Amino acid sequence: MLTALATLLSHYKRHPGQLAMLLLGLWVASALWSGVQAINASARDSYARAEALFTTDLDRLERRDGEPLTREDYLRLRRAGLPVSPLLEGTLEAPDGTRLTLIGIDPLTLPGDSAFAAADSAGDLTGFLTPPWQTRLASDTLAALGVGASEASGATPRLADGQRLPPLALAPALPPDTLVMDIAAAAALLASGETLSRLVTRPGALATAPEGLRLSRAETLASPGQLTESFHLNLTAMALLALVVGLFIVQAALGLALEQRLGLLRTLRALGVSGRRLVALLVAELLLLGIIGALAGIFSGVWLARALLPDVAATLASLYGAGVGAELSLPWHYWVGGLAVTLGGLFLAGAGVLWRAARLSVLGLGQAQAWRAGFHRQLRGMTLAGMAVAALGLGLWAWLARQPPGEGLLAGFGLVAALLLASALWLPPLLAVLLAGLERLARRRPLARWALADLQLQLPRLALAMMALLIALSANLGVSSMVGGFRLTFLDWLDQRLVADLYFRPPPAQYHDIDAWLATRPEVAERLPTRRVDTTLRGIERADGSTSLALPIGLYGITPGETLRPSWPLLATRDGRDDAWDAFRAGDAFINEQLAIAHGLAPGDRLTLDAPQGQETVSVAAVYPDYGNTQGEVLFATQVLASRFDAPPGSLGLVLAEGADHRTLARELGERFDLASDSLVDQREVKRIATGIFERTFTITRALSALTLGVAALALLASLLAQARERRAQLAPLWALGVPRAQLVRVQLAQLGAAALATGALAVPLGIALALGLVAVINVAAFGWRLPLYLFPGEMGLTLATAVGVALLATALPALRLWRTPPRALLAEEAGP
Amino acid sequence: MLQFHQVHKAYATPQGPLPVLRGIDLRLAPGESLALMGESGSGKSTLLHLAAGLDLPDSGEVCLAGRSLSALTEPARAHLRRDTLGLVFQQFHLVPSLNVGDNLRLQARLAGRDDPAWSSELLERLGLAGLERRYPEQLSGGQQQRLAIGRALAPRPALLLADEPTGNLDEETADEVLTLLLALVRDTGSALLVVTHSPRVAAPLDRCLRLSHGRVDDAAITGAT
Repeated sequence: MLTALATLLSHYKRHPGQLAMLLLGLWVASALWSGVQAINASARDSYARAEALFTTDLDRLERRDGEPLTREDYLRLRRAGLPVSPLLEGTLEAPDGTRLTLIGIDPLTLPGDSAFAAADSAGDLTGFLTPPWQTRLASDTLAALGVGASEASGATPRLADGQRLPPLALAPALPPDTLVMDIAAAAALLASGETLSRLVTRPGALATAPEGLRLSRAETLASPGQLTESFHLNLTAMALLALVVGLFIVQAALGLALEQRLGLLRTLRALGVSGRRLVALLVAELLLLGIIGALAGIFSGVWLARALLPDVAATLASLYGAGVGAELSLPWHYWVGGLAVTLGGLFLAGAGVLWRAARLSVLGLGQAQAWRAGFHRQLRGMTLAGMAVAALGLGLWAWLARQPPGEGLLAGFGLVAALLLASALWLPPLLAVLLAGLERLARRRPLARWALADLQLQLPRLALAMMALLIALSANLGVSSMVGGFRLTFLDWLDQRLVADLYFRPPPAQYHDIDAWLATRPEVAERLPTRRVDTTLRGIERADGSTSLALPIGLYGITPGETLRPSWPLLATRDGRDDAWDAFRAGDAFINEQLAIAHGLAPGDRLTLDAPQGQETVSVAAVYPDYGNTQGEVLFATQVLASRFDAPPGSLGLVLAEGADHRTLARELGERFDLASDSLVDQREVKRIATGIFERTFTITRALSALTLGVAALALLASLLAQARERRAQLAPLWALGVPRAQLVRVQLAQLGAAALATGALAVPLGIALALGLVAVINVAAFGWRLPLYLFPGEMGLTLATAVGVALLATALPALRLWRTPPRALLAEEAGP
Repeated sequence: MLQFHQVHKAYATPQGPLPVLRGIDLRLAPGESLALMGESGSGKSTLLHLAAGLDLPDSGEVCLAGRSLSALTEPARAHLRRDTLGLVFQQFHLVPSLNVGDNLRLQARLAGRDDPAWSSELLERLGLAGLERRYPEQLSGGQQQRLAIGRALAPRPALLLADEPTGNLDEETADEVLTLLLALVRDTGSALLVVTHSPRVAAPLDRCLRLSHGRVDDAAITGAT
C-alpha cells in the first residue's frame, strides 16, 4: 500500500510545478477563507461580549430636556418603587493612548440576567462593592494598561493622567477596552460628581416613561451583531469567492495530474493493485496534500486577519459603533472549521478525478484518443449545468421578487452566485464556438489557423483558469462599480445633507440663549436647528387599506428654509417638490426610503405615531434617500417636532453670511457662553470624517476583490506552467518546420491575450449585472434601500486591460522559458503523437 | 546542396565537454541520396540537427543551399529551413491540434507554396485519402509516419532530412514506407539525407556513410561519390 502510494506520489517529483500549483491553490483558497473567518470570529466574539454586558438588552431612561441624569433622579425613582439601576459611562485614557470605556454599575440593582451580573459570585461581590473596589476587565485590555497576564490579578496600574485603577480582576466576558467597576469608584475616577449617564431597567418593567424622562426600549437598540450582519455576510461572500477561485486551481492541477498518470494507474492495476485500492490511494494523496495546504492556508489566514483586523475594527466602530478588539480571538471550532472547509472543497474539486479513476478500465486506461470526444462531452455538460444554475438563479429571482424588502439576503447572495457560476460554466463552450468560427475564417493564414486550433486543444486545461479569471474580473468590476456608485451617491448625499457651513450642539441649559444670540449675529445668515426623538409607529393607512403595528421609530426634525429646501433630495413626492415642501412646513411628514420600502409606503399614505399628548396622524408628503441609516425614519419640520412630539433641542446648523469669518464667530461664542473653541464644527471637517469612514468601510472589500483577482492570475500562471513542458514539445515541430522562436513566442502571447480579452469582454456585462445585483438586490435585502446604478467606462476598460495584462503576465514566464530553451532541446523533449 | 567542412561539436556535461563530432567533412549534391549510419551515440542525430540549422557547430562550417548557417540569425535559419528543407522525425512530431489534411499542408502553407493538387496526390499515394479530417492520435503508427513524410514533401523541398524514418515501424510497414519515400523523393527531385541503423534502409540510397566516435569511418563509405 505504501509502495503504491509512494509510486503515485513520485509523479510530483518529476512534475514539481503541478505539486506547487496544487498546494498553491489550496493555500490561497484556505488563506483567504480562513483570514476572513478569523476576522468574523473575532468580531462575533466582541459582539457577543458587548451584548452580554448590559447596554443592548435593557430598557433605558434619559431626561427629556437633554440634561444629564443625577443621583437625585435615581433616588426619587427608587423611592417611588421603580426598579431602575444607575449606570455611569465615561472614557479614560490608558498610558499608551488607548481610550478605555469605563462603566460604573450598581450590581445590587442591576437586572440579574446580564452576563456580567450572572457571572458574579457572592465572594467577588463584596470585593467589587467595597474599597479598594475592583476593576473588571478582559485580558485583551491588559496590554493597553501595560500589565502582563500573569501579574494582572490585583494589579493597580496607572492611567495616562496618573490616577490609579482599583485592583484588577479578570472577567473574560467583557468587551475589549472596557473597564467595569462599582459606580462610586467610577464616579471618583471620572470626577462626575452626582451625575449619571442613564438609568436602566429590565425590559418591559416600566409600562410608560416616568415624568420628564424618555424611555428607550431594548428592542429599539439594535445590537452590534444585528447591525453588522450584512457587513460580515459581504466578507464571507468575498471569501467564498476566493475559496472557489482557489479550488479551480486545485481542480485544474488534479485533472492534469490524473491525465498524466493514466499510464501509471494502468501499470499499477496490471501489477495487482485493485481499482478500489487505487481510489483509496488517491484519496490518501488528496488528504495528505489537503492537510499540508490547509494548515499553511490557515496560518497564513491568521496572519492576513491580523493585518486586516485593525482596519476592519475601525470601520465597524465608525460605521456601526461596534467595538471589535484589535487582537484575534479564535475559538477551537475556527481551526477545525478551516480545516474542514478546505478539505471539503478539495474533495469536491477532486470528486471528478476520483470518479474517473474509479470508472476507468485497465485496458482503457492510458488511451489518449478519447480526450477529444471527452472534451466535447464536457462542454455539453458545462452548457447544461450552466442552464441548470441559471434556472436556479431565475427561481431565486422570482422568489426574491415576492419577498418583502429587507428580507432574503442569503437568497440575494445565492442569486449573485448563480449568475457568476452560470456564466463561468458557459465560458468554455462559448470560447470553443468562437475559436472554431475564427479557425474557419483563418483558412488562408496557416500560423493563425494553427494558433486557433492549438488554443482549442489547450482549452480543456485552461478552461478552469479562464473561468476563475472571469469570476474574479466580473467580481472586481461589480464590486468597484458598486463601491464607485455608492461613493458618488454618498458624496452627493453628503453635499445635499450638509448644507450649513458650521455645526454646533449647544449645551441644553444654554440652548435658547445661544440661539437668541446667534439670531442677532450678522455673520449668521440662517440657523438650521434639528431635533430628534424616538417614538412608536402605531398605524399605517395606505390606499389599499390600514395596518396596525407597534414599530419603534426615530423622528428627526429639520428646518425647511431657503438653504435646505433646494438641496435636500426627494425620491418621490405627492404633488411635486414645491408642494411637498409646503406641506412639510405645514406639518406633513417625509419618510426615508428604508421605511417606504419596508412597509410599501408612498406619498399620500398616512402614519399614526405615539406622541406625548396621545396619538398624532400625519400624511406622508415625500420619500427621501437616507444612505447613512439602517433604520426607518420619519422627518418633520423642527418646529412641528418640538410642538407635537416634545422633541428636545439637538444640533444647530449655521449658514454663514457672504464673507463672514467663522473663527471670529467661534471665538465670540466661546467667550460669551464659556464654550470650548472647538465646539463649532466646520462642515468640511464633517465631510472629511464621513468620507474617511466611507473609504475605510470598503478597504477590506477592495482588498479581497484584488486578492481574488491575484488568485485568478495565479491560477492561469499555474495552469500554463503545469503544461509548459508539454507545450514546448508541441511547439518544437513548428520551429523545426521554419517558424522562428520569436514568432512562436508572439503567437503564444497573442493566443492567451486574445482568449483573456474574450473572457474580459464577457466579464464586462457580467460585472455590470453583478453590480446591479449588489445595488438592487443585496443592498435592498441588507439595508432596505436601493442604490442607483452607475457605470464607469474607465473601470470597464481597466477590466479588459487587466484581463489581457494578467494573461500576458501569466504567459510571459512560460514564453521566456521557450525563448531560452536551446532549440535542440525543444525537439529532444517528448512530443505527443 | 549541403556541405560540412571540418565540423566539430561537443556537449557540455558535468564531467566537462563531451565531443560528439570531430572534424566532419561531407558534401551532398542536389538530387543525391545519402544514408548516414552508426552506433547509438555516434553523432548521427547531431549531424542531422546541424544540417537542418537546428543547432550550430562549435567550429567548422555547415553550408545549406550555398549559405553558411553560422552566419545566419536564428530567424533567418528558420526561414531557410522553411523554404529549403523537409524534415521527417523518428517521433513524427505531428501537430496534435490540426487534422490530417492540415498537418500535411502545414509547411507548404507556411512556405507559401501550398499546392492543393500535389497535396491531394500525396494523400492518395500515402494511403491517407479519406482520412483528412482525422486527427493524428486517431491514426496508426504507420499512418502517422506516412503523414510526416507527406508533410515534409508537400512544399517540394530541395533537401529532405529524415531521422530513422522507419525506426518505429514493423518490418513490413517499414519496407512499404521506405519504398514510398524513395519514389516521392525521386518525383520531387529532392536531395535526401537519411539517418538510420538499418542496412535495409541504407541499401537503395546513392551513398552510405558510417559515423564512428564522431568521425566519418572512411572504410565504410559505399556508393558513388
